[in-house]
Amino acid sequence: MLLAETQFRVHTESSPVSLPATVDADKDHELMIAVRAGEIRRLGDLFERYHKPLYGFFVRLTNQPAASEDLVQIVFYRILKYRHTYRDEGKFSAWIYHLARKVAADHFRKSASTPTPADPVNFDDHPDQGPAPDAQAATTDDVALMRRALARVTHEHREVLVLSRLQHLNHQEIAKLLDCSVGAVKVRAHRALKELREVYFKIRKEQAA
Amino acid sequence: MNCQRVQDNFIDYQDGSLPPAESAALRTHLASCPTCQREWSALQEITRKLDAMPAEETPSPRLREQFYAMLETHQRDADSVSPFALARSRIDRFFAALLPSTPALQFAGALTALAVGVFAGARYFQPPAPAPTVVVDNSAKHEKEIAELKSQMNDMGKLVSASLLLQKSTSDRMQTVLATMDLKSPDRKVLSDLVGTLALDPSVNVRLSAVEALAQHADDRLVRAGLLSALPRETAPLVQVAMIELLTSVRETDAVPIFDRISRDETADKDVRESARRALAVLRAPSPTDPLKNNQPSNPLVS
Repeated sequence: MLLAETQFRVHTESSPVSLPATVDADKDHELMIAVRAGEIRRLGDLFERYHKPLYGFFVRLTNQPAASEDLVQIVFYRILKYRHTYRDEGKFSAWIYHLARKVAADHFRKSASTPTPADPVNFDDHPDQGPAPDAQAATTDDVALMRRALARVTHEHREVLVLSRLQHLNHQEIAKLLDCSVGAVKVRAHRALKELREVYFKIRKEQAA
Repeated sequence: MNCQRVQDNFIDYQDGSLPPAESAALRTHLASCPTCQREWSALQEITRKLDAMPAEETPSPRLREQFYAMLETHQRDADSVSPFALARSRIDRFFAALLPSTPALQFAGALTALAVGVFAGARYFQPPAPAPTVVVDNSAKHEKEIAELKSQMNDMGKLVSASLLLQKSTSDRMQTVLATMDLKSPDRKVLSDLVGTLALDPSVNVRLSAVEALAQHADDRLVRAGLLSALPRETAPLVQVAMIELLTSVRETDAVPIFDRISRDETADKDVRESARRALAVLRAPSPTDPLKNNQPSNPLVS
């Protein structure tokens, strides 16, 4: 029973929000080199491959779907602006997440000083909405709960959770992105899962009360 | 394996990246430890819930529209780039490819270049021979050398001024000579210039004017010496006569041998020979106005 559980691995590589498979990494790199050389329109292909995972990344991280669209746009704008800094030995997925993290950091710094209007998508989190109808599937309930829990964990932990569990980056890639050791990423991932669990059960308890 | 170690390995175990031996140890521990079992199943549960989160709602079409609008703008900018900028970026890329990109290699390259430079400098460029030191063993000798150099410099200066005088037109030189006549007490340089003019000037008129100008200063030893040396070389009768008369008027007895030679010279001008003969007669006659000259050795010949 326990052994069977250890085999449990959720790899949703076919999922539209996950990163393109690594076999396409060379193609991404080729496209980006072409963009750098002046074939700007080739970025369209990269947009089609990356904008959804990127959007998912920002939505999970900020919990603001409308603002997340702008953030995706900013990332692609920066790709164009800084395309000359893309290195021959670079990896496009690492680079785009590097830019995305910076864009997100800028966003959080800005929103810390200026309060952002509430996103209508979050309205369903409002307590006034009352308990979900019995007809609603338990899984949907779970997803809403998980979304709220994810929004409550610290930014550091949320980031590592989003990158590892939702964007399916491996620990080496995350370590490179966060500029720390692989071991540190694992520790952070473990703590993040623990915090998420605590927050999750706390919310569930609040809702039950 | 204690509980902390086991729980630290959960992430790797979950990932499937834990080595088989440690995975086996972890499973053994899990089977016997209720605390770790609880921890593990909790971790698995939350992970499953997290991974079960559905794909995000797809972004609105607005995102795609905005992106392609931006792309077109940038493509136009890139297409309208000047050929100069294009060439520059190519050159930049060429050098970027040529030179090392990592700082460590750049540093090593710089060090190598420095070492090669130092080696080549030491190998191929001999240090210059030590500057010759002036050994002053005799200060008197030294001063004498300086004095010689000074006199050479002065001679050079004279020559230059004389040649400057020569380079001017005849009328300019005449002007210069006539201008010296207004000077009441001209300095040595002016006098030596005049003597030089008398000896060297190609124009008879200028030489004649020089004689006139020197007449005021005929008492000067330099002037007399100049006249005496210039006279034998003088070819123009007019100037010769003027010089003879001047030397006679100041009773220059040293001129007697020269006058004597001129008076016997068959090729000389008749008037000049006549003038020389008269001058000899005057100089050989005792002068009542100049008693000092009576005792001169040339005089007893006549007395």
